[in-house]
Amino acid sequence: MTSAIRTRNLERRFGRTKALDGIDLDVPEGAVYAVVGANGAGKTTLIKVLMNILHATSGTAETLGMDARKLSGKAFQQIGYVSENQETPEWMTTGQMLSYYRSFYPQWDRGLEQQLVHTFGLPLDRKLKHLSRGMRMKACFASSLAYRPALIVLDEPFSGLDPLVRDELIEVLIDRAPETTIFLSSHDLAEIESFSSHVGYLENGRLLFSEEMGDVMERFREVTITVNGPASRPDRPPESWLQVEAADSIARFVHSRFSGGTASEVAEYFPSARDIRFEPMSLRAIFLAVAKSNRVSSTSAPIVDAAKEVEV
Amino acid sequence: MRQILAIFTKDARRFWPEILVSFVLLAALVQVYPMQWTEPGMIHSNIGWFGISGGPSGVFAACLVALVPISWWILIARLVHCERLVGDTQFWITRPYEWPKLLAGKMLFLAIFLYVPFFAAQCLLLDSGGFHPFSYLPGLLLNLVYLTAVVVLPLAALSALTTGFGRLTLLILGVLLFIVLAVIVSDYLPSSSFGSVPDVVSGKLALGILLSGFAAIVLVQYARHRIRLAWLLLAAVAAGLWAIAIFDPDQALMARHYPPAASPVQFLYASGGVTNGTNSKDLLSVSIPMRESGVAEGEAVIPVALKVNVEGPGGASWQSSWQGITSQRYLAGASDTATTFVMPRAVYDRFKRIPVTLRIAFALVQAHRDFVRLVSLPAGDFTVAGFGVCKAQSWTGNINDSSGIGCRSAMNQPRLTYIAVQWTEGRCAEAATESSSQIRGTAWAGEIDPAPAEFGITPVWDTPVNISNPWQTYHQDESPQGRVLCLGSPVSFTQFREMARTQTDLVIRDFHLPDLSVGDRFMLLTH
Repeated sequence: MTSAIRTRNLERRFGRTKALDGIDLDVPEGAVYAVVGANGAGKTTLIKVLMNILHATSGTAETLGMDARKLSGKAFQQIGYVSENQETPEWMTTGQMLSYYRSFYPQWDRGLEQQLVHTFGLPLDRKLKHLSRGMRMKACFASSLAYRPALIVLDEPFSGLDPLVRDELIEVLIDRAPETTIFLSSHDLAEIESFSSHVGYLENGRLLFSEEMGDVMERFREVTITVNGPASRPDRPPESWLQVEAADSIARFVHSRFSGGTASEVAEYFPSARDIRFEPMSLRAIFLAVAKSNRVSSTSAPIVDAAKEVEV
Repeated sequence: MRQILAIFTKDARRFWPEILVSFVLLAALVQVYPMQWTEPGMIHSNIGWFGISGGPSGVFAACLVALVPISWWILIARLVHCERLVGDTQFWITRPYEWPKLLAGKMLFLAIFLYVPFFAAQCLLLDSGGFHPFSYLPGLLLNLVYLTAVVVLPLAALSALTTGFGRLTLLILGVLLFIVLAVIVSDYLPSSSFGSVPDVVSGKLALGILLSGFAAIVLVQYARHRIRLAWLLLAAVAAGLWAIAIFDPDQALMARHYPPAASPVQFLYASGGVTNGTNSKDLLSVSIPMRESGVAEGEAVIPVALKVNVEGPGGASWQSSWQGITSQRYLAGASDTATTFVMPRAVYDRFKRIPVTLRIAFALVQAHRDFVRLVSLPAGDFTVAGFGVCKAQSWTGNINDSSGIGCRSAMNQPRLTYIAVQWTEGRCAEAATESSSQIRGTAWAGEIDPAPAEFGITPVWDTPVNISNPWQTYHQDESPQGRVLCLGSPVSFTQFREMARTQTDLVIRDFHLPDLSVGDRFMLLTH
């Protein structure tokens, strides 16, 4: 499958700080790829390098098959970019902005523009500076989708928006998803889970895993073991077990490589187990488990290993 | 083209208030500036490149001349910052802007809202000043180049390095501070006391550095957004201009531009005259009385620079760099003047007690008479073809007893012109009935080799005409009385055109540097 975004050993430094550390990423065409991670993980830096807003210190990045460092001018006719930090031409009304941008895109779809304006309820005669944050974000979406870009890049698009606006934006994105590739960063894991096809997890500039959403949901399980007598934490649990804890007669952990044989593996460590339960996890629960686990252990080795095995 | 027009239209729609202010100021300037030419009783005085005369309307015009560039500053800054080139959150950087079209859109804006109005204002002012604009087309176009080099490109480049108007203002203040520091540092260099030599390549080099340096900054920022490289270029421009100021390249080219040849004038050292000094701690000036003769009829010789070689016994010697000379022009017949040069105090101390051979090389411009225009002084404006528009003026406002002549010229100072008048003692009405003595007054005006234009917000320049002998002789207990120019009295304008540039030497053997006496502030050298 062709990649809409591809990076190899991508590195970006700010002085001595590595904001991106050897990122190898492939985003297949047609995917809805969500990159998640804590604040400062490198999500925005990664997007800025892909958009040629920042230059990589080393490694390569390709966006729509083009070297990201050469991305400019007409290449952006195929890319829709919306960022929570992006400025808007605030002196313009929404109508003026759409009209202005129209002249930059030969493939601009007036019908889609009107549809988006209608869906979002955009006031065309109001200046952008007088719009609420949510309405301004909708205007940005409308101006970035109306030309049917091949790639939509969104940097924290739902940040600070109320649930109603988020739902509206996500609905529009879902509508557009079949004909485009969407690459977005977000903290809003519940929304991402609902419509993303792929997910990547960044921590401290390193991509800890990158795979299809279904695979992630499939391989992470919350495991609860009830034992006879007091439960104790295994001395050396497997690396794929995250956040192992035990109290009274119950032990819990998150299994990051769940498969058919996991039950017998767990039973080996808990021979007195009288009940073993495997609960599917939400993306938010997975994110928290991975994040907390890495902070506690101060090493990301287990998850990195997992990523290597299941790279997209 | 569609994108260029879209950007242009967007900017024009956004910045209409700034455009309007700029237009209003320019229109006011076109209205107000010519008023000073009709004010009675003023002797024109030049105020720098503003080209402003004194008087109430002149003061108002001076304000407008200052405000117009400020309005351009705001307009250019806002225009560039609208799609600012520094930062990573601008709305436009992930849109399909093509940088040549973005730049073209901005240039189109400047062409229509800055260059065209400026050009039109220049034409209107020329017309108001009595000059036909189309006769000065090369100068008008050159002034647009100067405008680009001095105002538009620097402001655009500095705007391209900053994120907003506040930071731009700080940067401009930084640039001004650099200039002040550069001037202060330059003043400590000995060469600064020697006066500048005629500009042959320095000015063109500086103009080239300004144009290419600032254009490179703009291009680097628009094409690549390479802010560090752009700052380096700014530093290079500053260093280049400073280097030109410090290591004047014209010094090295003087021998080439003023080759040795048969002298068009004979210099004779009139020994025994008094020479005087300077107020600098480390430098002294030495003035040598001279007699010049031998200038051919119909010619003028203008010394523009000199270089001094002092040779003592035993091979000890000192040679100065070229030192500029101003305000000396020789016509046919003999004249007595003083030639002054500057030497370091240490050199003076070395040679003061011993006879030396003084070799002075003069760089000369030989000019021939181009035309003579004779005018009977009228009451109002009168045009002197090839020179400008002049007018009899009076301190008292009584034009019948004029105190002098005020002139204006187009685009630049006129070519070097010798003006001769007949002063009248007393009042003109009395002179008509009584036999009043006529005193000759003369003045030099203009430049030897003026460029088609000198940069100015306005294209009409006042030409100072300082006529000699304006005061009647008076005794110690009398108050001085001015002489007057009467209407109808003859005024001649003799214009000279450069013919050749030469270099000639004057050798003075057994010359003794004068003794030094120290006064309050001045060190006097007496022979």
